[in-house]
Amino acid sequence: MTLHAPPEVQRPAVMLPSSPAAAPVHRPAGNLGVARFFAVPGQIVSLTVLVMPLLVALYMSFTDWSPTRGSLFDATFVGFENYAELLVYDTRFLEAVIRTVLISATCLMLEFTLGLGLAVLFLREFRGKAILFSAFLTPMMILPVVVGYTFWMLFQSNGPINQIIALIAGPGAMPEWFRSAPFAVATVIITEVWHWTPLFFLILLSGLNAVPENPVRAAVILGASPRQVFWQVVLPMLKPVIIVAFVIRAMEIIKLFDEVFMLTRGGPGSATETISLYIYKLAFNDFQLAYGAAAAFLVLIGTLVIINLMLLPVRDQLLEARR
Amino acid sequence: MLSRPLTLPLALLLAAALVITLFPVFWIVMTAIKPPTDWNAAPAVWLPSEPTLVNFRTLFDPTALKAYGLSGVSQPATPSMLGSILASVVATALSILIGLFAAIGLSRYATMTKATPLMILSGRMFPPAAIAVPFVIIFSVTNVIDTYSGLIAIYVAVTLPFSTWMLKSFIDDLPREIEEAAMLDGRSRLMAHLTVTIPLVRGGLFATTMFIFILNWSEFMFALVLSYTNVTTIPVQLAKYVTATAGTLYGVQAALAVLAMLPLVIGGFMIQSHLARGMTFGAVKR
Repeated sequence: MTLHAPPEVQRPAVMLPSSPAAAPVHRPAGNLGVARFFAVPGQIVSLTVLVMPLLVALYMSFTDWSPTRGSLFDATFVGFENYAELLVYDTRFLEAVIRTVLISATCLMLEFTLGLGLAVLFLREFRGKAILFSAFLTPMMILPVVVGYTFWMLFQSNGPINQIIALIAGPGAMPEWFRSAPFAVATVIITEVWHWTPLFFLILLSGLNAVPENPVRAAVILGASPRQVFWQVVLPMLKPVIIVAFVIRAMEIIKLFDEVFMLTRGGPGSATETISLYIYKLAFNDFQLAYGAAAAFLVLIGTLVIINLMLLPVRDQLLEARR
Repeated sequence: MLSRPLTLPLALLLAAALVITLFPVFWIVMTAIKPPTDWNAAPAVWLPSEPTLVNFRTLFDPTALKAYGLSGVSQPATPSMLGSILASVVATALSILIGLFAAIGLSRYATMTKATPLMILSGRMFPPAAIAVPFVIIFSVTNVIDTYSGLIAIYVAVTLPFSTWMLKSFIDDLPREIEEAAMLDGRSRLMAHLTVTIPLVRGGLFATTMFIFILNWSEFMFALVLSYTNVTTIPVQLAKYVTATAGTLYGVQAALAVLAMLPLVIGGFMIQSHLARGMTFGAVKR
């Protein structure tokens, strides 16, 4: 067992050593029909419902089309005009991008820190662990719209959070959460962190439980303190799991929409407007569909680059784990 | 590993984390059974002065709040509940059926290149607002906008990567020899999969089904932009209530929110040991 054990160390040992599953699959001609039979329905759905609309959107992003201008086929081709406009002149778009990245980075760091802390607490021995484990997972089972609405209630000016603040710091300290930009951003971050810290907790705890015992024992025998064991033996072995957690969450939080829609609708002004919210407003409030599509493709390219950079250190291990 | 008992300060930390985790849930459930006078009282009322089910009744009978001198909501939430059930159940069934086939294909007859998993992950990165734009256009042209078929088609497509990869990870855990033995007994490949592989992944199939149901039931944006009058789901209805009354019908909205999260919390706990696998496309197994 190497120190940089990939996540598949957790795989239950049902795969027999002699299993051909591990070897490259050789397919006699007769199997191709069966393979197609299994693959085709999924391919049809993906092509018609995902790929086709994306191609339409791509074409659209090079036109000046909007629903008021008639058929999509009559739209004027404008080349990269939409993209140039977005990248050079549209400060609201650029601000939304920077804001989304900053909110995402803050949330991910907080969720990781809190999730790891909680997971480490769960390595201790205590009674009622199973039920507490379930309790701590509760937030991630709740639908985002409901989470957004719940926190909207909690942050009302005479809601319970302000009541507690008044109790501790006096009535003068109560903020109007949704009226000032920094406080509105804080509500979004607090809501996201509450909602998704359990996912980090869950993934990191399963990673911690799968850490092989031998290197840990060896380190202890060699005289390492518990702190050293954690930082220098356990944490490096967790690296692939940590990166998986970050990638999964990054992919989702970059699309942040539901909670913000319920909490602030992007306000006050555009203080909490995320990329998704901006594109939504462009497309469905202002009906600038072509422009919105161009914005979406820019976001997709940016996201792909960021996620692939994040995946770089564990790419091979992940692909290995797939097999 | 490193098994040490919980010290008192750590136990207090854990207790604080527990309170923070459960407080919002407590608040929304309490609000759902508060009478209108408690809803947004200053100072905030923590426990209902007089617990009531009037908020839940209002969801089915919009005039139920008359007893408290309020006009209530303009429309009942019943259509949205039926809509959510219809869209989620049908879309989940289709996604699982198609995903199961794709998973068997990928696991047993791998024709994919090494990069396929990353390509599928890439599909999840696209902002839903952007997929929604061409959908709205195509659906208007083909007349499936504001129909459940349109919404279901999207739900199937966007959950397919999850159902495929989660099911594949369960099938990968089965030794091939079991199917091969069935084939040696004279069963065709197809029959071997139908009669051996699928029954053996029952548990995984159930967990995946619950997981996909949770995703469909929670979906908000597609339902928001693709529904006008015929189609509505609970998340959209909740947003509509909040918009229509500037959020002032706290209790009624909370009641709908509680009904919306109830099946998910129950279902989520039933499959909690498989949640990590689902969320990470099978990369983390437990």
